[in-house]
Amino acid sequence: MNAVETLNPTNLAQALKAKANKNVVAVAGGTDLLVRLHDRITQPWPKLLILENVKELHKITVTKTAITIGPSMTFSEIENSAILRKKALQLVTAAASAGSVQIRNRATIGGNIANGSPAGDTIPPLYVLEAILELSSAKGKRTVPIEKFFTGPGKTVLKPTELITAIKIPNRSNHGFFMRLATRKALAISKVSVAVNIIMNKSKVESAKIALGAVAPTVIRATLTEEYLRGKEINQAIIDEAARIVQDEARPIDDIRSLAIYRKEMVGVLLKRGLESVTTNG
Amino acid sequence: MIIKFKLNGKNVAIEAPGGERLIDLLRERLNLVGTKEGCGKGECGACTVLLDNKPVCSCLILAAQVNGRNVMTIEGVESDARLRAVQEAFVEAGSVQCGFCTPGMILSAAALLRANPKPSRDEIKRALSGNLCRCTGYEKIFDAVELASHKIMKKAASK
Repeated sequence: MNAVETLNPTNLAQALKAKANKNVVAVAGGTDLLVRLHDRITQPWPKLLILENVKELHKITVTKTAITIGPSMTFSEIENSAILRKKALQLVTAAASAGSVQIRNRATIGGNIANGSPAGDTIPPLYVLEAILELSSAKGKRTVPIEKFFTGPGKTVLKPTELITAIKIPNRSNHGFFMRLATRKALAISKVSVAVNIIMNKSKVESAKIALGAVAPTVIRATLTEEYLRGKEINQAIIDEAARIVQDEARPIDDIRSLAIYRKEMVGVLLKRGLESVTTNG
Repeated sequence: MIIKFKLNGKNVAIEAPGGERLIDLLRERLNLVGTKEGCGKGECGACTVLLDNKPVCSCLILAAQVNGRNVMTIEGVESDARLRAVQEAFVEAGSVQCGFCTPGMILSAAALLRANPKPSRDEIKRALSGNLCRCTGYEKIFDAVELASHKIMKKAASK
């Protein structure tokens, strides 16, 4: 093993100062990073910045208008958060369905975002919940809407000297779902995922936000399907048509996990199942 | 750096690089070889240990990350009544074949029973879904967790 010494900040100011060296790699839960390092036996490991003890990054704060999730919050903590269970069920469902107990106890939401995988399970929920990311460096901070954060598979606008320091979602009631499909229920990366946030005005859809995971170079919004659903009263015919439209919005590829043709079809199936469950549960 | 943490109830301080994997720290420096390395990528659960009572893969944790924390390995069976009850149930239910997954299974099961003393069969399956067994077909492992639950509840009731 290429074990190296690590940088071990105990507060955010120290962490940002250490990250000013752009060759330093930040480690949150490490559940993706250590898998990648495991495979590079012949190359030296980079200098690792351990975020474990930076308490500022590991909490949820709630105001009247916003819920701010610290990037070091683990999937297990998100799954069990009372406020998120009430206000962000899509995110809770996604966190609860990823990996295994062992992985969820370590994997963090900030790491899931920074990794930039189009199959990252917390990302579609954050799209439909309109999350804003706070990115900080030793020089200051900026905010970026989550949809502007990703530029390609594993590629983001995060600069080498920056850390994600907060994930902010509006504090309001949300209605919708998250669904995923993978080779098996545990410990499998999503082949397809769909997150929906829907606002109803009496029996009609006032607005629907739909995000699709693992079917394009980044997570994408299904804007044509959203537009189609606006103002409609949801019934089986409308659901079937929405499921047909959404298939054409997906731009999947064939890879080791699945085939493009299957993914397209399954995007429709997941949207259909989700919309049916939302409408039958009121 | 010097890594200080509680290991199976005892304070430990040991010199190791902060970037060393916990499994290497346990097996190579502390000679605790009950923790097994299967895939080394967090997919099989053979290397499961408890970090502050929660199951984690010791192949995906660095020494620096356990500094100041509480780690329990299968060797903790000597000092932990719940772990011992689960271990006995595994023997009684015939849940062990090659034994490679057993330490991780027992730790995951003990963590489940700590949080949820009377889990349903489905809750047991979900709790153990990160621990692969290639011999048993899992049924006897699930039986053992149910048996351990009964034993622990019975013991608590008789106190």
